[in-house]
Amino acid sequence: MKFKVLPVILFIGLLLLALPIGCIDNNNNLSVSEQKKTVKIIAKRKKSEFWDVVRMGAEAAGKEFNVNVEFWGPTNELEIDKQIEMVREVINEKVDALVLAACDYVKLVEPTEEVIAAKIPVIVIDSDLKSDKVKSFIGTDNVGAGYMVGKTLVDIIGENGNVAVMSFIKGAASADQREEGFFKAIKDHPGINIVTTEYCSSNIDLSEFLTYKILNEHEGLDAIAALNADSTVGVARAVEKRGLAGKIRIVGFDSTPDEIEFLERDVIDALIIQNPFSMGYLGVKYAVDTMNGKPVPKIVDTGSRVINKDNMYLPENQKLLFPLTDE
Amino acid sequence: MKRKLLFFKGIYKAIRNTFRINSIQSVISLAFTAVTVFALVFVSVTLYSVFSKTAERNAASSTQQIIEQVNINLDNYLMEMMEVSNLISNNLSIDNLDDLSNILSVTTGIRKDIVTLAVFDADGDIVVCNPEGEYDKNYKVSEQKWFQDSLNNIGEYNFISPHVQRLFVGMRPWVVSLCRGTKVQGSPETWVVMVDMNFSVMEQLCKKVSLGKRGYIYVIDQYGDIVYHPQQQLIYVGLKHEDIKFALEKEDGSYYYDLMGERRIITINTVNYTNWKIIGISYLDEIVENRKSLSTLVIFISIFSLLFVIAASLFVSAKISEPIKKLEREMKKVESGNFDIDIDIDDQGEDEVKSLSRAFNMMVKRIRNLMEQIISEQEAKRKSELKALQAQINPHFLYNTLDSIVWMNENKDYAGVTTMVAALSQFFRISISRGKELIPVSDELEHIKSYLTIQKIRYKNKFTFSIDAQTEALEYKTLKLILQPIVENAIYHGVEQLYDEGIINIKVSVEGKTVLFQVTDNGYGIKPDILKNILNRKEDGKAGQGGVGLKNVDERIKLFFGEQYGIEIFSTLDVGTTVNIRIPVIE
Repeated sequence: MKFKVLPVILFIGLLLLALPIGCIDNNNNLSVSEQKKTVKIIAKRKKSEFWDVVRMGAEAAGKEFNVNVEFWGPTNELEIDKQIEMVREVINEKVDALVLAACDYVKLVEPTEEVIAAKIPVIVIDSDLKSDKVKSFIGTDNVGAGYMVGKTLVDIIGENGNVAVMSFIKGAASADQREEGFFKAIKDHPGINIVTTEYCSSNIDLSEFLTYKILNEHEGLDAIAALNADSTVGVARAVEKRGLAGKIRIVGFDSTPDEIEFLERDVIDALIIQNPFSMGYLGVKYAVDTMNGKPVPKIVDTGSRVINKDNMYLPENQKLLFPLTDE
Repeated sequence: MKRKLLFFKGIYKAIRNTFRINSIQSVISLAFTAVTVFALVFVSVTLYSVFSKTAERNAASSTQQIIEQVNINLDNYLMEMMEVSNLISNNLSIDNLDDLSNILSVTTGIRKDIVTLAVFDADGDIVVCNPEGEYDKNYKVSEQKWFQDSLNNIGEYNFISPHVQRLFVGMRPWVVSLCRGTKVQGSPETWVVMVDMNFSVMEQLCKKVSLGKRGYIYVIDQYGDIVYHPQQQLIYVGLKHEDIKFALEKEDGSYYYDLMGERRIITINTVNYTNWKIIGISYLDEIVENRKSLSTLVIFISIFSLLFVIAASLFVSAKISEPIKKLEREMKKVESGNFDIDIDIDDQGEDEVKSLSRAFNMMVKRIRNLMEQIISEQEAKRKSELKALQAQINPHFLYNTLDSIVWMNENKDYAGVTTMVAALSQFFRISISRGKELIPVSDELEHIKSYLTIQKIRYKNKFTFSIDAQTEALEYKTLKLILQPIVENAIYHGVEQLYDEGIINIKVSVEGKTVLFQVTDNGYGIKPDILKNILNRKEDGKAGQGGVGLKNVDERIKLFFGEQYGIEIFSTLDVGTTVNIRIPVIE
């Protein structure tokens, strides 16, 4: 059988042609470096014990899902305009998703929706926003948590008594909702008299000062309900300094080390604790999921529970109260 | 369903028509390709499954080795801690608290992973501790379970899984503790030595090893509490779940575990002193990645082999089918009537095709010969028929006969006229026989009888004749007008010139499958040299000439019935001639 040379040459040529294609393919696979996405978190405040835990959760998620996590926020929770500005800046930055804790329920709607319009998904944590365009809200059921404050307070002082409320910022969703829940709980107990409601602007010193004012103005006060970490610490300081620890009962909010110390020293009677770690973690996780086109739940309740001196060292509670720092 | 079937059939037909699937080339190519595809699929699937199984096994065993190593390291670490605890225990004495305090401070100074070293007396009060701090009055050591356990089981090492250490005000570190109740030297008292470690060393031990990209190691104690987990806080707040129960229940070893559609290998290994368990989770995705690259390789190779096979099979099948196609083209020519073809065999490739070509050549040649034969035969037949026809209406014979009739009529021999005319009429009737070529032997004999009757009258009784036939033979058929030329010959060349009375005898007999006509005369006979040539003589076309008629009859018979039939002539000078005509029996 005579072998024709032409087809053989053609075939070998074809093979030679194919080899570099295979190699190029492999090279591509090797050389393509994954572009790390960036999730930006704009918190209500850049630095505080509560937000540090949120940040820990966010960073844990960033590590797990291989994204950069940038943590930002105004220096205090009253700087609504500053936060608005920060949110607007996101549009011009290389950010793939935004996780926001809104300082104001209404005022931040506009800039946030601008961000969403720029095709950057937004997840809201801790404090809700009056917008249905955000992908998800992750936070404490604040009405429920406020209700828990009221119930716990009644359990402590009984059906009769004078109570002052130390809230933080009017207009912030978390504050409004906690108040709403708190008053709902108190409404069932006509013997409880709410003497005043103050707003400390999430400032410990202001809270302490306002507490002195309340103590001066309202004699025969039985208890103070504080609705966030800063208000609680301020109230506890004032009450302790006046030597009223144990006489004026305090039900606080959150679980910063200061608050825990006050709890252990019997200045604070009970704390309603949230789960800031979960907020940070889930905020970033859902941001990543959204970027990857996965569906995320519209509302996530990260839960809250009542902590007092007796149950604080139960294994399940100490895990929440003392977050493991990840160095 | 049926419609679908029809649809596919339609597609198949369309493909078949466009690609001429029935051609040898495409059948060979398709078969070749199909076999190769099958083989390729089989080989690659087998290779792939063998490889991936091996890869899985390897992954499991390497995970096991890694965890074994972690176990050894963790074991060493815990031993160190026990030694720290032993060192303190061995130096417990009521009198020498300063020495003890020194040991504690040196040890904590060296080891950053030791958070607190403390010695409690039986009431739970601190004897010595380092670093020191403000003792938290809310915390009653004596009420703690670990303290009581240590007091009750003196000398035993008591590991306490992670908890918040709250000995001192304002310090709430997470620690793992090692406690041990010890008798104090020279005293009845029992003290408890506590070593608090942080997670840093354990974390290092567990974090350093990598189980693929996403795999990790965690450690649980005998109650299922997590000692170390890379995502410990996530588990603590309930965002992550680890199936600790599974790990707790299983013996050491590797297990498959499917979670959310993802396969993991869980490897469990128990640490010696503590009954802690080291659990390695490795994801199969690395293996899957290997698998993917393997499968791309396999697909790559398959595609190229397939291309190669297709090219090769196209080439081979073209090589095989080309000569066949050529043969086909030549055959087509033959089909359209061209027989002048001789395929060049040397050029035709394979042996089979060569012999096919050869056979075809032979066939064409034979057909060509046959056709030529048929053509010449037909020609001869036509000629002989013409001659027979000429014989039938030999004008000589006719006008001689008519002359005889006129002459007889003038002599008023009316009976002779009648006989003559009747015989003539009979002669022509049978001659014509409605154009039939085959007539019964009886008719042929009747015909020759009429002829002889006429000739006898014409030759004025110069001869006598007799016809003698087997009755059996009369039934059979014969080619018509075969006797007349022979009898004519016998008259003209045999008996005419005789002085004596001529005798012509005609005999018909059946010999097996042959009918034999025998015409005998007593004439001069034929000279041997003439006799020899009489049947081979070249025709010169002279009708009625002696011999020409004989040859014509012979040819007609041979054309009609075959070579074995025909005429034989036996002649002896001055004695006579016998002509034998043989034809087959025809019913």
